[in-house]
Amino acid sequence: MTHTLHRRGTLENLANDYVVFAMSAKGINEKDSANRMREFMRIAQRYNPVNMGDMKTGNAYSVGMERVIADIKDTSIVHAVFTELETVAKVVQEVKEAELGISVIISGLFDSAKGCCQKTGLTLHTIEHSLDIWGKTEKLAPQDVLEITTMCGHGMVAGNLVVSMAEDVKAGRLTPEDAAGELAKQCCCGIFNPVRAAELLKAMACRLFP
Amino acid sequence: MKIDSVTCVACGLCVPYCPMGAIKMDEVAVIDADECVECGVCFRSGVCPADCFMEEQHPWPRSVRAVFSNPLSEHKETRVPGRGTEEMKTNDVTGIYRKGLVGMTAEMGRPGVGTRFTDVEKVAKALARAGVEFAAQNPVTYLMVDQDRGKLNPEVLGEKVLSAMIECLVPEEKIPAVVRELTEVAQHIDTVFSLDIITRLQPDGSVPWERILHGLGVSVSINGKSNIGLGRPLAEV
Repeated sequence: MTHTLHRRGTLENLANDYVVFAMSAKGINEKDSANRMREFMRIAQRYNPVNMGDMKTGNAYSVGMERVIADIKDTSIVHAVFTELETVAKVVQEVKEAELGISVIISGLFDSAKGCCQKTGLTLHTIEHSLDIWGKTEKLAPQDVLEITTMCGHGMVAGNLVVSMAEDVKAGRLTPEDAAGELAKQCCCGIFNPVRAAELLKAMACRLFP
Repeated sequence: MKIDSVTCVACGLCVPYCPMGAIKMDEVAVIDADECVECGVCFRSGVCPADCFMEEQHPWPRSVRAVFSNPLSEHKETRVPGRGTEEMKTNDVTGIYRKGLVGMTAEMGRPGVGTRFTDVEKVAKALARAGVEFAAQNPVTYLMVDQDRGKLNPEVLGEKVLSAMIECLVPEEKIPAVVRELTEVAQHIDTVFSLDIITRLQPDGSVPWERILHGLGVSVSINGKSNIGLGRPLAEV
């Protein structure tokens, strides 16, 4: 699955959006990988991610980080979201030194991921690019809504909910952070970036409802 | 998914949570069963103050809706939660994508539009015409009754899902044919698809297809996924 791919945005507003995640390969290095993924998450946790999650359990906003880590299974895919590239570089360095032997992926700006790896003496192995959206694009939500909804690649964050949250922010019923947290709860895997979402919601509230 | 119409308090709070816009307010909240993709967001959100949402187990073929739309549903053959395979995420260990062979995925219905399998089949047929190899461990491939033609089991064609990933292996020299077929079929579907490409980087870090896609006018993202090669045992590709 490509759940962290296809995140829409500009060079500027994608610069604070990095998902670092890990998994084992079925039938190859899967056995007892739960403990290695748990170690990966403990390392990530030390660097204060803005979200964490495992598709099988939930995320920091829905079930809490400790439950996410405790319930990791060999077949899990575990994620941590960061807003600063320097932090990602430190996480990668520590994960490399831990020699966990599971696959690790950085999702974010390619130039940043490449630079981050160079700092730690790694080279990118395999990459995946989005080649845009094809077909009946008139059915799509507006770009500013997509910049938020596409942070959940499984499509669990509804465009209507984003607009509703922006209305609540504008009306003063919710802070941008609380609204972003409600959106983050819907994304089971914990790959939704609530810090970036709060900034985008603030901007949207001003634009949509002047 | 069902709403208990007796206990629903008609507050309308659930309406914006549905990714497909399938919940409407009448006297109480009602779900358009044909538009509902069984993703479970309304149920899991906990937004209903009266706990009115009831998850249902559906028989074939409606059962495919949850498998493709609810990430908590694990595809029983692949044991991968979600809609696709491990693809590039474990390529450092599996070595599926290698020199001369890229991965391409058309993820039907994404973002946020949803798709019927009639449209999934149209795109699968287009890809088959371009000469791709469909990924073995993929739920859409499991639904194919004729992989050479990209034909799906006719029983599922009317079903709607949040998204469905058609994953393929493509020899680099067939990339232009894939783009041509997708450009044509994109005009004949009632939904969208997000397209991607997976590449095992060359030792010098170069991307071999860059010039090809640029020449075909395909937009390539500035962000995406990078496998950093820490998996072991490392595949020799």
